[in-house]
Amino acid sequence: MSATTANPGRFDPEIRAGKGKGKSSDRLLLAIIGYTLLTILALFCIFPFILIISSSFTEESSIIEHGFTIIPTQFSLEAYSILFKYPADMLKAYGVTISVTLIGTAVGLFLTSMTAYVLSRKDFKWRNHFSFFFFFTTLFSGGLVPWYLMIVNYLQLKDTLVVLIVPMLMNVFYIIVMKSFMSSIPEAITESAKIDGASDFLIFLKLIIPLSKPALATIGLFIALAYWNDWYHALLFISKSDLMPLQYYLYRLLGNMDGMRKAMMESGAAINLEIPTESLKMAMTIVATGPILIAYPFIQRFFVQGLTIGAVKG
Amino acid sequence: MKQTKKTVTLLLTVFLVLATLLSACGGGKNAAENGGSANAGQGNSGANSTESTDTIDISKEVKLKMLLVGGKPVDYEEVFGELNKLLKEKINATVEAEFLDWSDWTQKYPLKFAANEDFDIAYTANWAFYNDQAIRGGFLELTEEMLAKYTPKTWEALPAAAWDQAKVSGKVYMVPQNSNEVVDKVVLIREDLRKKYNLEPVNSPETYAAYLKTIAANEKGMNAFGAKPGDGWKWHELDEVLLEQQNNWKVVDPNVPFAFKMDDPSGKVFNVYDTPEFTELLKYYKDLVDNGVWSKNVISYKNDVWQDMKAGKFASRAQNLGTLAFNVAEQRRDKPEYEMAVVDLTPDKMKSAAVSTQNGMAIHATSKNPERALMLIDLLQNDKEIHDLTMYGIVGKHYEPVGDDQFTPGPSSTNYTGFSNWGWNSLLNRTDTTYPKEADEMLNQWQEHVYHYPLETFVFDDSKVKNEVSNLGNVMLRYAIPLEYGLIQDIEKGQADLIKQLQAAGIDKVGAEMQSQVDAFLAAQK
Amino acid sequence: MKNQGFFSDLKKYRALLLMLTPAVLFFLLFAYVPMAGIVLAFKQFNYQGGIFGSPWNGLENFRFFMESGDAWRVTRNTALYNIAFIIVNNLLQIVTAILLFEVAGKWFRKVTQTVLFLPYFISWVVVGAIAYNLFNYDVGTLNVMLRSIGLGPIDIYNTAAYWPLILIVVSAWKALGYGSIMYLAAITSIDTEMYEAAEIDGANIFQRILKITVPNLMPTVIILFLLAIGNIFRGDFGMFYNMVGNNGLLFSSTDVIDTYVFRSLTTSNEIGMSAAAGFYQSILGFATILLANYAVRKYDKDRALF
Repeated sequence: MSATTANPGRFDPEIRAGKGKGKSSDRLLLAIIGYTLLTILALFCIFPFILIISSSFTEESSIIEHGFTIIPTQFSLEAYSILFKYPADMLKAYGVTISVTLIGTAVGLFLTSMTAYVLSRKDFKWRNHFSFFFFFTTLFSGGLVPWYLMIVNYLQLKDTLVVLIVPMLMNVFYIIVMKSFMSSIPEAITESAKIDGASDFLIFLKLIIPLSKPALATIGLFIALAYWNDWYHALLFISKSDLMPLQYYLYRLLGNMDGMRKAMMESGAAINLEIPTESLKMAMTIVATGPILIAYPFIQRFFVQGLTIGAVKG
Repeated sequence: MKQTKKTVTLLLTVFLVLATLLSACGGGKNAAENGGSANAGQGNSGANSTESTDTIDISKEVKLKMLLVGGKPVDYEEVFGELNKLLKEKINATVEAEFLDWSDWTQKYPLKFAANEDFDIAYTANWAFYNDQAIRGGFLELTEEMLAKYTPKTWEALPAAAWDQAKVSGKVYMVPQNSNEVVDKVVLIREDLRKKYNLEPVNSPETYAAYLKTIAANEKGMNAFGAKPGDGWKWHELDEVLLEQQNNWKVVDPNVPFAFKMDDPSGKVFNVYDTPEFTELLKYYKDLVDNGVWSKNVISYKNDVWQDMKAGKFASRAQNLGTLAFNVAEQRRDKPEYEMAVVDLTPDKMKSAAVSTQNGMAIHATSKNPERALMLIDLLQNDKEIHDLTMYGIVGKHYEPVGDDQFTPGPSSTNYTGFSNWGWNSLLNRTDTTYPKEADEMLNQWQEHVYHYPLETFVFDDSKVKNEVSNLGNVMLRYAIPLEYGLIQDIEKGQADLIKQLQAAGIDKVGAEMQSQVDAFLAAQK
Repeated sequence: MKNQGFFSDLKKYRALLLMLTPAVLFFLLFAYVPMAGIVLAFKQFNYQGGIFGSPWNGLENFRFFMESGDAWRVTRNTALYNIAFIIVNNLLQIVTAILLFEVAGKWFRKVTQTVLFLPYFISWVVVGAIAYNLFNYDVGTLNVMLRSIGLGPIDIYNTAAYWPLILIVVSAWKALGYGSIMYLAAITSIDTEMYEAAEIDGANIFQRILKITVPNLMPTVIILFLLAIGNIFRGDFGMFYNMVGNNGLLFSSTDVIDTYVFRSLTTSNEIGMSAAAGFYQSILGFATILLANYAVRKYDKDRALF
């Protein structure tokens, strides 16, 4: 396939819709169906979130009495004041999460796409073997204990920032999805570069990466979200408070209360505690999601940009 | 496909090679450690038999690590800093605690042992997998000589029955708590509502039912009884009161439906669900449900029972005395417009003493300093100064002592609480002055009526019937819970179904195993 | 001769192999070596022996599951739920992605995309709490509404029959934003020249979607299908546990392998028994994926996973 000129607008449906000759009835019908269906779906998705926001600002006793409501029945900032009781810890947790997400996404995305590229090369004799090698790990696992031993006893990664990043760097699902995206890049493009004497790595870096921007944006987003939402690795491997990521910090706040209630029952111990659990749960969702939601339009801009530049070939 | 087959073969080969490699080094490492700990144990007892004097060599300073359950208290550094000053002086050691949060300790706790991480002491309890951990070799066996030598105060203070309860296949693996608590379950009611409807004082299952039904009929927007079966407890929350205490039964292990009569010297265990008493109780529960005493969705209930009761959505709950007494104290502080009371529905029945293994401290099997670790436990439990410090924090900040056995919470009491320092509960424990008097009186009265029964220290070892026990637990959750909460219309058929399912899950095998253990236990006592 | 071929291949692909090295090492360290722990399924684990030194106990660890009489029920539930999730979720995501792509308003598209992603961020714990708030019998929003318009309340938490539908809807709702973004990326990767050609041929927009967009999405659909099918015997524990909890009345239609095993093992915490259950799921998944991959290979060699 010959290199075509860059045309940033060609994938933008807005422009394409404009280019379409006349306002045909089928387009109108599709628009009606599209707007209606998407609006209904969006309402389904936003309604619970509004409930959450509202409940997070509601007095706990009022939630107990009236349940979750769209508008706070009795406004209260108590849940947030509990969350931000130790603002320094909270900021630290945000810091850990943000750095882990940034480093992890950058490194992970690079490794994922490099691996996916090799597997997508149709002339690579062992690509099926390696695909199987990777895929097999999604089916069989030795369970928690040996994995834990590996990380703690052999790799000695306990209580390090590395343990929050490295074990999540690669995921077979992302590699394979990326591979399937890359397989759709016409071979002719790499062929011509090869004839010019470019090395495989250079082809990947200079040709494949720019051509895979939609896929990179998507998988990059997935990797970033996985890092952002991860609390499990911290649960297992982090005990130092200044290495705790946000989600684990929040998870502990809530889990500790539930766990303690049960323990008190069974151990016969009695402790006086009083915590607004329902509103706290909701406030935690907001605190954890908020930054992503604020950042999302910017990510999205990059995302949309990625899509349009994805058209540039050669 | 052929290629795939080749790949599989290749993978398997690689996998096997790796496995052998790992097993070689892993096994070697463990064996060495294992030998080491065994030697250490023998060394102790050997040393003890030769040395008759009480001198213990503490010239070398050691650092101990302790595994506790619960969130790390905010003022941990401060309190443990104080503690270490004292410890340095007394046993030339310092201690550092690692806290496993309540949210995830069940996952992390066994992993710490599996990875053989470096720690000397661990909190343990019968409800925190004490038996399993001991059988799996996680704890160091504590011989009588060791205990007498390194934990002299505790050895003296703890009654023999407490040590007996801590035995797993005849060996002690923990230093249990020392508590003279009585563990009967009680209920919390709204005394103001009882008075409002001119009801008789609540003190029996019948008067309680009358109270619940009156509330259900008259108080709109309120459930008469609140419970949270969704937490995974395999019994109705009133079963301990209305089935066990009422009939003078004792359930052997809450994970399987077997009980014995407290005063039955033959120690015959029977299936609780297959008794006329249980059938009667089902009718009692069904009557309550039909009168709307608890929510139809009680099994899926997700909130906190006490919070809801405090908000006026429930009029009663069942719990142990300590917890409910605290509830009353909290109500008096925050909701003076209500009046709540703790009532005993089975005042004339036999009372039973708390199980010592409900809380305790154990030594890690591979601890390098088991002697000093034991000495620390001894101090924690029975040294007044250290006990006060580790239980209540710093005077003037976390608590104020009142006399010798009471305290009032200090200005930052919440900064040192919420973790398992219950592991070293002892008679030195202080009581909160805000603790309701009547609860204390109730406890004192119970203590006079404690009944000591032959099987008091019997502990069921389920290792031979693990599979059956797992399945029985599943059946109890799936069939017994909905039946007891009155969600199955035909209770007769429901009970028959339940018994049938239990049989399929292997209840007879578990019963036979339990009975043989009980018989052996009783025979050994004679 | 053959060896020579292997070594010359090695040389020929050295750059590609080098590029694969990080990934190979990664999966060796974090997946293959720990995989040796599968032996725990056949062992009576103790701390002294560790993974390899603990005594063997044959198939003892499998007994609790196999002999419970529930194995078939929960295995079937797990597979059926996952099949339903795969079909419903992917269909909905594809339709949403196509509509998002075709609908004109830039602002509308952006906002919708963001909004559809919201459920992804709500943890299952919170989803469970909201569901309880909506569906409970006494004061649930749904029943309050039904009563106010004179209809009887529905006892959702005591009726197993409603739950497959509820769980399928909730699963689709939560995965919608995530999945549709993936399909959106796939649609944007389709060569526009095809669209232009179709337009010149006078195809209307629906024909264009059916003839060009959908066939071009098939490779992605097949890959995602194959990836999902290997895990068809693993239930989403977070979802089932937080939605259904320990409500025995609903188990007949909601119990999956993971929740069943969790309930069985809370009291014993036996490592070998959970390893056994995991191994059972792996074997079933492996057999299924081999079959599915074989079928896909027959149809189109390039589309298969391996």
